[in-house]
Amino acid sequence: MSVRIKKVKRRIQNKIREVSMKKVITGLHLFIFLIFPFTLYAGVPLTTVEGHVNKVLSVLRDPAMKGDSAKKAKKEKIRVISDKMFDFAELSKRTLGTSWKNFSPDQQREFIGLYKDILEGAYMDRIMTYKDEKIIFHKENMLSDDTAEVQSSIITKTVETPINYRVILKDGEWRVYDVVIEGVSLIKNYRTQFREILANKSPEELLKILRKKVSKA
Amino acid sequence: MMHNSVFKGEYSIMKLKPFNIIVSGLVMFFLFGFAHASLALTPSSSDQNQEVESSQENEILQAQEKTTQQPDERAEKSGQKEKGIEEEETTQIADPLYIWNKGMYYFNDKFYFWLLKPVSQGYSAIFPEGVRGSISNFFYNLTTPIRFLNSLLQLKMKSAGNEIVRFVVNSSVGVGGLGDFAKDKLDIKRHNEDLGQTFGYYGVGHGFYITWPLLGPSSLRDSIGLIGDAFLNPVNYVTPLQDCLAITASDKVNDTSLHIGDYEDIIKAAVDPYVSIRDAYVQNREKKVKE
Repeated sequence: MSVRIKKVKRRIQNKIREVSMKKVITGLHLFIFLIFPFTLYAGVPLTTVEGHVNKVLSVLRDPAMKGDSAKKAKKEKIRVISDKMFDFAELSKRTLGTSWKNFSPDQQREFIGLYKDILEGAYMDRIMTYKDEKIIFHKENMLSDDTAEVQSSIITKTVETPINYRVILKDGEWRVYDVVIEGVSLIKNYRTQFREILANKSPEELLKILRKKVSKA
Repeated sequence: MMHNSVFKGEYSIMKLKPFNIIVSGLVMFFLFGFAHASLALTPSSSDQNQEVESSQENEILQAQEKTTQQPDERAEKSGQKEKGIEEEETTQIADPLYIWNKGMYYFNDKFYFWLLKPVSQGYSAIFPEGVRGSISNFFYNLTTPIRFLNSLLQLKMKSAGNEIVRFVVNSSVGVGGLGDFAKDKLDIKRHNEDLGQTFGYYGVGHGFYITWPLLGPSSLRDSIGLIGDAFLNPVNYVTPLQDCLAITASDKVNDTSLHIGDYEDIIKAAVDPYVSIRDAYVQNREKKVKE
């Protein structure tokens, strides 16, 4: 009997210790958050991406902006949001991977700009057609200390397409560096294309191809 | 002797009209694969590819160590270490039939823009999206045997069970498969399995990339898978052959009508559309094998 009581006592003591440890830990967390308010400001990856996407949707659904005349203004607004949402420098660097260092700083800068123009040119028109699509955010997975994957789906009447955003934490803000649609990573896809071009062409020649593509669009 | 036995075999299955089955099977093989093309998304990893990837990853790792020693301006500015290793790998597939594939890529491109797309657009003008969605559901329901058997082959008992539940519920409550009651109300989601994925599940690699006319992107492994799956598709057993072809073509047009814009987006975004589609195929199949 007494052994049993002792066991129970010990268990209770352990529990109390655990609880107080938890209190200390939460207290510490609170303390840290109070000292570094910017960590709170950054928010979690999912809410950040969701916030940007919702902003884009509200621009698209804005009843005050209708007709072709408002189209330009809409595009401009979306561009401003996408600049905040995406980290085009990180996106470019990861796309080129090891080839990145073969580009001079000037070439890198130009590459980032052209790549951004290509992506915006390609996806802006499609985004502008969105009306009744529902976008649902599911969850986020941490990929490393400072990168995460936010999972979402875009749902039309008949088709559901999974879209995952990969985000990186920089200067207290989560920004998108890759978009994975149906398992196809945007930066991986471009990496394969650029790698084949760079296999027998110089960075300058790649930039020339990109310039041509941007000017055509 | 051999000749004789083959002959006997032919007579014994005469009632099944073997010629029709084989021809329609081949046609399905072409047409069905093209569904991959309009989505341009569908593929899987192979041992070989993984080997290539991991050796590449090592190289990249080494290269990255070098670059981290002399961090560039941007990385310094943001005070970030370079941490893109997991993103560094590329998905690769052998492409020994490059010339044929590229020719077929142009053929399919023209086929889509000159015939399939205008027909599908005319079709969507007549039938509202809801109707087309129901038709799509109907054909999807018919191909349950493919998904059921391949789930079993991959020992995915839950998926196999879900397929049965989905089939029973959607065929009855969903009125012959026109509605997807199982997804909408019971939250049993669609989960695609095919023979190519089953091969991939057991570690069989793509072999090489191949683009089929009408069918679009595929690989040696997935092409063999498509032939096998064609035998499980009830539409292929419809006789006479014209009816089978007509049904297959309608399914194709209906499916395309729900995906207009997808292919265009890929082409528009790509710097090298052929490479982009090939890579998207491999990445998408890889994801499906992993699921």
